[in-house]
Amino acid sequence: MTDTIIIDGLAFALPMFVMSVGGIFSEKSGITNLALEGLQGFGAFCGSLAAVLFAYGFAGSSRMPYYLSYLIAFAGGMLYAMLHVLLCIKFKANQIISGVVVNILAVALTTFLTKRINEALFSEKSNKFVLETSMRFTVPGLSRIPVLGAVFTNVYPFEVLIIVIAVITWYVMYKTPYGMHLRACGDNPHSADAAGIDVNRVRAIAVILSGGLSAIGGMSYAYSISASFSPDIYLGFGYLAIAALIFGNWSILPTLGACLLFGFARSAGQALIQRLGMPSTYNDLVRILPYVLTLFLLIFFSKNNRSPRALGEIYDKGKR
Amino acid sequence: MKKALVKLLGKEKGQMFRISLFSIAISLIVGSVILILIGKNPLSAYGNLLQGTGILPKYSYAGRQNMFTDFMSFLDALTPMIFASLAVSVALKCGLFNIGVSGMMLAAGFAASVTVGMSGLAAPVAKPLVIIIGILVGGLVGGLIGWLKYRFNINEVVSAIMLNYTLMYIVTFFINSFYADPVSRQSTPVTDASRLTLVGVKTMGLKIDIPLAFPFAILTAVLIKFIMDRTTTGFEIKAVGLSHMAAEYAGISIRNNIIKTMVISGALSGIAGVTYFCGYTGSIQPGVVPGMGFNAIAVSLLGNSDPIGCIFSSFLITILSKGAIYLSSQQGVDIEIADLITAVILIFAACSEFIRIYVTRTVAEIDQAEGER
Repeated sequence: MTDTIIIDGLAFALPMFVMSVGGIFSEKSGITNLALEGLQGFGAFCGSLAAVLFAYGFAGSSRMPYYLSYLIAFAGGMLYAMLHVLLCIKFKANQIISGVVVNILAVALTTFLTKRINEALFSEKSNKFVLETSMRFTVPGLSRIPVLGAVFTNVYPFEVLIIVIAVITWYVMYKTPYGMHLRACGDNPHSADAAGIDVNRVRAIAVILSGGLSAIGGMSYAYSISASFSPDIYLGFGYLAIAALIFGNWSILPTLGACLLFGFARSAGQALIQRLGMPSTYNDLVRILPYVLTLFLLIFFSKNNRSPRALGEIYDKGKR
Repeated sequence: MKKALVKLLGKEKGQMFRISLFSIAISLIVGSVILILIGKNPLSAYGNLLQGTGILPKYSYAGRQNMFTDFMSFLDALTPMIFASLAVSVALKCGLFNIGVSGMMLAAGFAASVTVGMSGLAAPVAKPLVIIIGILVGGLVGGLIGWLKYRFNINEVVSAIMLNYTLMYIVTFFINSFYADPVSRQSTPVTDASRLTLVGVKTMGLKIDIPLAFPFAILTAVLIKFIMDRTTTGFEIKAVGLSHMAAEYAGISIRNNIIKTMVISGALSGIAGVTYFCGYTGSIQPGVVPGMGFNAIAVSLLGNSDPIGCIFSSFLITILSKGAIYLSSQQGVDIEIADLITAVILIFAACSEFIRIYVTRTVAEIDQAEGER
C-alpha cells in the first residue's frame, strides 16, 4: 500500500511542482502569474496536437513523438506566455486581470481549435486528442530497497525530466547572475534598474520561462492522468500550483515539499478508500484530504511568509 | 490620427467610460475578423447574440414565447453574475483578491437548497429565508478566509483555492449520497415555493421566468456604491486597500476591515449562489466548481471594479454567454466562439490603463506643441 501511495503521489506531485517552479520564476521577478492554469493547458494542447500528428509520421513503437511532443509543448507554453508578457509589461495591464484573461482565452481557444482541427484533419466531431498513456520504467536493483524502492518503481520518464529541470532551475535561480537579477527585480526593481539591469527584459524572460515550465506540467498530466487532451485538462491544477508556491514561500525547495505533501495526501486518500472498500461516493469525501491538510498546515507554516516586495506592481521608471 | 483619438476619448471626465466603450468596440471588430475567417457574417452573428437574449426580435418564436420571455430569462442569468462581480469588487477595494467566489456560491446554494429548498415552507417565508441562508453561509466562508489571513497570515488566494475544492467535494459527496436525482444526476430540484425565479408564469398568453432577485441586485449595487463612496466604512476599507501602514497610522483597524470586507464579499457571493442554484438552475450539478465565480473576476475588472460598472459589464458578458446558445444553433458555429470573443474583449479591457496613459501623454504633447506655436 505504501508503494502505491509513493508511486501515485510522485506522479501527481512532480508535474504540479514544475508548474510551481515556473510560477516562482515569474513571481520572484515581480509578475503575479495567475495564468499558470491557462499556460499549462495551452502547452498541453500544443504538445498533444504534435503527438497526434507525429503519430502518423513515425513507426508505431517509436518513442520520438513522445519526446518531440514535450519539446513542442515547451515551445507552445513559452509562446503563449508572451501574451501575459505583452499585457503585463508592454501594456501595463493589471497582472491579476491579465492572468485571468489569459486563462479564459486558453480554455476558449484550445477547445475551439481542438474541435476545428479534429473536424478538418480527422473529420470527426470530438473535443479530444487521444494520447497513449506514457510508458513507465522500473530501475532494477534500486527498486528492491524496502519502502524507498517505490520511488524507483513504475516511474514516468517525465518525472526524471522534471527532477533534472528542477535542479537546473534551482541553480539558475540561486547561483547565477540572472537569478540574482531576477530576485532583485521582484524585491526592488528601482535599485535593480539603478544597477544597470533591464527590469522589463528580466521579467519578460522569467514569465516566458514560466510558460514553458507550466506546459511541461500540463503535458505530463495529459500523458498520465487523462491520457488525452480535452477541456478536462483545466481542472485547476494551475491554481493548486500557485497555492503550493505560496505555501513554499516562493522558494523552490519548500515548494517541492508542499507539492509532495499534497501528492502523497491525495494518493493516501485514494489508497485508503480501496483498503476500506467503501462505496465510491466516499471518494469525494476523501478527496478533500490534501486541501484540508494544506490549509491546516498553513496555520503553522505561514507565519513568516512574505511575498516578493514588488510583486504585482507595474514597473514605472518615473517612480524612483 | 492622434488628435482624433484624443478627441474621441476625451480628457478627464468620463474618460474611463469612453475608454471602456472604445476597447469593447475594438474587440468586436477583432471578433468580426474571427467570424469572417470561419466564413460567417459578423453582423448577423452579433444580431443572433442580441436575439438570443431578447434584445432584438427573433424571426420566429415557439408557442407562448416572444422577445419578452427571452429577455426575462436573460435577466435570470444576469442576476447571479451581478452579485458575483460585486463580491469580487468589494474585496478588491480592500486589496484582497477573492478567488473563492465559486466555492462560496456552491456552499450557499447547497445549504439553502437542502434546508429550505427541500422543505414544505410556503413561498412568503421560504424565499427570504433562502436569501438569508445564502448571506449567512457565504459570509461565514468569507469571514473564515479573512480571519485566516489576519490571524495566521495565510494568503487569501491560497485559502480560497483550498476552500473551493474542499467545499466542492463535500457538496458533491452529499449530493451523490443523499440528494441525487436519479434521472438528471443533479441534486433534487428545489421546491417552486423556495425558488427565487418564478418559473413558467403564464400571463398574457406567455410563459415567463421571472427573476425575483433582479431588482434586488441593482439595489445592492447602488447600496455598495453608496457604502464605498459615502460612508466611513467604505473609506476605511479603501484606506486599508491602498496602504496598510497608512491606514494603521490613521488608527484604522486592519484586522477588522479585512474580516469585514471578506464577510461582505462572502455574503454577496452567497446571494450569487442562491440566485444561481435556487433561482436560475434550480438544482446543483455535483463535481463541478461553478465557472461563474472565476468569470466574475474578469467581469468585475472590466467594470473597473466599480459597483455600477459591474452592472454594465455583467450585462455585456451575459449577452455573450447567454446569446451564444442561439448564435451557435443559428449559424452552426461552435459555442466556444462566444467565449473567444469574451476573452478578446477582456484583453482589450485589460489594456485600458495603457490607453489612458497614452491619451494623457498625447494630450500633453499636443498642448505643448500648440504652446510653442
